[in-house]
Amino acid sequence: MIHVIPILFGALFTVATAWSLGMLLLRKRAVSLYAWERRLLAFILGSACLSEIMFALAAAKLVHRGVLVALGLGVIAYTIYSGAFRAAGKAFEPLAPLWRWLFIATFAAFTWYSFFNALAPEHSSDGMAYHLSEVFIYSRAHGFPRITTNVYFNLSQGIELLYLFAFDFGRHSAATLVHYAFLIALVFLVLCYGRRIGRPAVGVAGAIFTYTCPIMLRDATTAYIDVALPAVLFALFYLLQLWDENRDPGFLLPIGILAGFGYAVKYTAFLAVPYAVGFVAWKLWRARKPLLGPVLIVALLAAVMVLPWMLKNWVEVANPLSPLANRIFPNPYVHISFEDSWRAYLGNYGLTSRWQIPLEATVKGGTLAGFLGPFFLLTPLALLALRFREGRQLLFAGLLFVCTYFNNIGTRFLIPMVPFVSLALALAIANLPWLLLALVIANIVACWPGMYLEYCDGGAWRLDDVPIAAALRLQPEDEYLSQDPDYRIARMISSVVPSSGRIFSIGIAGQSYLQAEALTGYQGGPNEIMQDILWTPIALGFQPTRILKFDFPERKYRKLRVVLQGSEPRDQWSISEIRVFDGATELQRDSSWRLTAHPNPWDVQLAFDNSPVTRWKSWEPAAPGMYVEMDFGRPQPASSVVVESSWDNINTKIALEALGADGQWTTISNHPMMTPRLINASLRMAATAELKARGIRYIFIRPGDYGADDFAKYSTAWGLTLAGEANDSRVYRIR
Amino acid sequence: MFLIRIVCLFAVLCMAACDRLPDSYPPPEQRPPVERITPGPDAMMVSMQGSDAALAIVKDIYPNINGIQWRWTKQQPTVRILVLSTAGIKYSADFALWDDAFKITGPLELSFLVNGKLLDKVRYTTSGNKHFEKLVPSGWLIGNTDATLALAVDKLYTAPADGAQFGVILVRIGLKP
Repeated sequence: MIHVIPILFGALFTVATAWSLGMLLLRKRAVSLYAWERRLLAFILGSACLSEIMFALAAAKLVHRGVLVALGLGVIAYTIYSGAFRAAGKAFEPLAPLWRWLFIATFAAFTWYSFFNALAPEHSSDGMAYHLSEVFIYSRAHGFPRITTNVYFNLSQGIELLYLFAFDFGRHSAATLVHYAFLIALVFLVLCYGRRIGRPAVGVAGAIFTYTCPIMLRDATTAYIDVALPAVLFALFYLLQLWDENRDPGFLLPIGILAGFGYAVKYTAFLAVPYAVGFVAWKLWRARKPLLGPVLIVALLAAVMVLPWMLKNWVEVANPLSPLANRIFPNPYVHISFEDSWRAYLGNYGLTSRWQIPLEATVKGGTLAGFLGPFFLLTPLALLALRFREGRQLLFAGLLFVCTYFNNIGTRFLIPMVPFVSLALALAIANLPWLLLALVIANIVACWPGMYLEYCDGGAWRLDDVPIAAALRLQPEDEYLSQDPDYRIARMISSVVPSSGRIFSIGIAGQSYLQAEALTGYQGGPNEIMQDILWTPIALGFQPTRILKFDFPERKYRKLRVVLQGSEPRDQWSISEIRVFDGATELQRDSSWRLTAHPNPWDVQLAFDNSPVTRWKSWEPAAPGMYVEMDFGRPQPASSVVVESSWDNINTKIALEALGADGQWTTISNHPMMTPRLINASLRMAATAELKARGIRYIFIRPGDYGADDFAKYSTAWGLTLAGEANDSRVYRIR
Repeated sequence: MFLIRIVCLFAVLCMAACDRLPDSYPPPEQRPPVERITPGPDAMMVSMQGSDAALAIVKDIYPNINGIQWRWTKQQPTVRILVLSTAGIKYSADFALWDDAFKITGPLELSFLVNGKLLDKVRYTTSGNKHFEKLVPSGWLIGNTDATLALAVDKLYTAPADGAQFGVILVRIGLKP
């Protein structure tokens, strides 16, 4: 039980620091706020500020517990001293008893269910895989280490930085509770909105629809970030509505901060910036008021929240928008092919038709990882709220914030619209209080965990019990977490791999409990190359079994290049090795040579290293004009060029060009002689030697991974020794 | 103004850290020919103690008990070996003939087979530890493919208690350069 204290302290200290920062910011601004509005908005606004401060501390490698204590206590003490906590604010009219007690009872019941889940040891899939894995690494490094091998580290991490603050005191569960605090703030803010527009029943109904939504509760009780996002977006919406009411310029500062913070929380919320800027500009333009100043304030403050993330990516991975936009900002860290396949998968999830989405996202939840609840099948009815001004505003904002949904059709990506649709639906039928009440009660029943187990898919992501003993640490944390295979594997790996070790995997989870650095095949450009190397010995199609030889009359050349002439949108061009001959003698590659390629010049050396398990690849669809070029530094006699490549058809559509004295490239030959090559030596040891040369000492293989059987059967031939095993997953040490 | 200055300063500092990626490179360190990268002399040997031996066993070898170094065989213990090289490769086996069983079976004749072809036939007239080693004709093996190695026993010992049948006590079997 005593173990709960640091967890609660970590979470409460983070929330209190954020809240204090927000109260300070709102102290002399936004005087028209109700007291509850001020408190709730202060937490969300302060969270944005605390996140920004944490960014600065992490960039300066100053994330130490002492610094955080001083920061938190300093902020809280100054807020008390300044009197910001005593800031005036009106009180709302009391709720009607029926709605008040309905809200209290529902809130209490669902809080009982959700709070203990949030407090229980954290073992969510993405929470372990990257949200808290990032936090764990930053906490140990006291800031941002440069990480170029994991695309998830390139996403904006505004909420993760709040988790970092909490994590230093209460570890994983403290971070989860911070996320949960955003849900609570959101629910009460939705309630306030209804009261603010003079429709308290709509506020209660909207708050209940939001709070009981199964995916909201499940997500908010993990260290994901999805529920923090609608809290930020709804607070932004709320502030814009308030500003529109009274045009108080004091609102512009929090509006700008929250608009930019949306991007800092999650890329998909980038639309918050044009929304806020556009809203202010549109309203002022319609009122024939000067708009440049207010628009600039909002835009600049938003930029202050957005730019640090862009700069961080620009500096670390040469792409401010990484892991997206790699065609605009080509770099060796995230391949275009990865971006394409990632987009394709996330826009599909294996569904055969998009018409399956409504039922899957609201009722079933098995394929799209969670469900909103059957109430959201009524979403089209929300259009009836268009007859009200507030309804139009809600629906516009909700639609805008969810319009990026088809980039990732997981149910979680519908969460930003939940508070907006909840309120709009309640507003649509607000004139029929009995119907609204009936709908609220039906929704409560349908969303109670004991009930939704009757209709949702067995594999749907959801809450299904109340782990009180685990939450209060009456059950040891390790014992509870050990029910999760990913955690057991992380524990096994930690027991055999030293914390300074680097481990390569095709796929791995549970990293937030893993000390060693884990590189996962698909998660970064350098990792994809290692995966390609590792699969070459067992995938015949990857091996350099096709020899293409260009013969031509001997003469001296300074520069030669192999150029792709064909295109194949589904294939990539690859070259395992290029060799240049003068008669029967291969030209020795010396340091005066300069090698380049287009695209992907960074890997060109892989085509000149004499290794059959490495290859230069385009890492994007093959297109005419791609080339690999050799500059010999001085004219060299040559009479043939041999290109060793894999059996893909695209690799044959090549020509050899030479740079003439006039500076023009001319084709020497575009009909290489093709011969097959049988490789009858095992390439396994060469592959693991390549990984070892890249600092990898351990390989983690799950039973379903490509080649898993081969690693087990021929571990000696791979030069591997079994180091540990859990759940049929194995860690091998490279000898 | 203060805010703008801070943002500009931060941007300049960040850019100062920028490291432009080169777009041309010299040839890298040359890797040795793949034939020279070998996992060691025992890479084609199967030890009966290893937990992964089960993956190599094709038939007629009893399961390992409590991690001991050897296993009892039946009539024709057979293992599958990945051939990493083909030139100058020898069939190698370490095994033992149990004294108590030998007293009942008498001298044994063992046939050593590679991919079903008879490499040698040896008659053992004494019990105890034995070692067999013989060069495999290079044409019998194909690189980077599985080869089966077997050891056929002409007479089996039958345990009086349960009728179970035993051949030899196998310690290691495989190919050696």
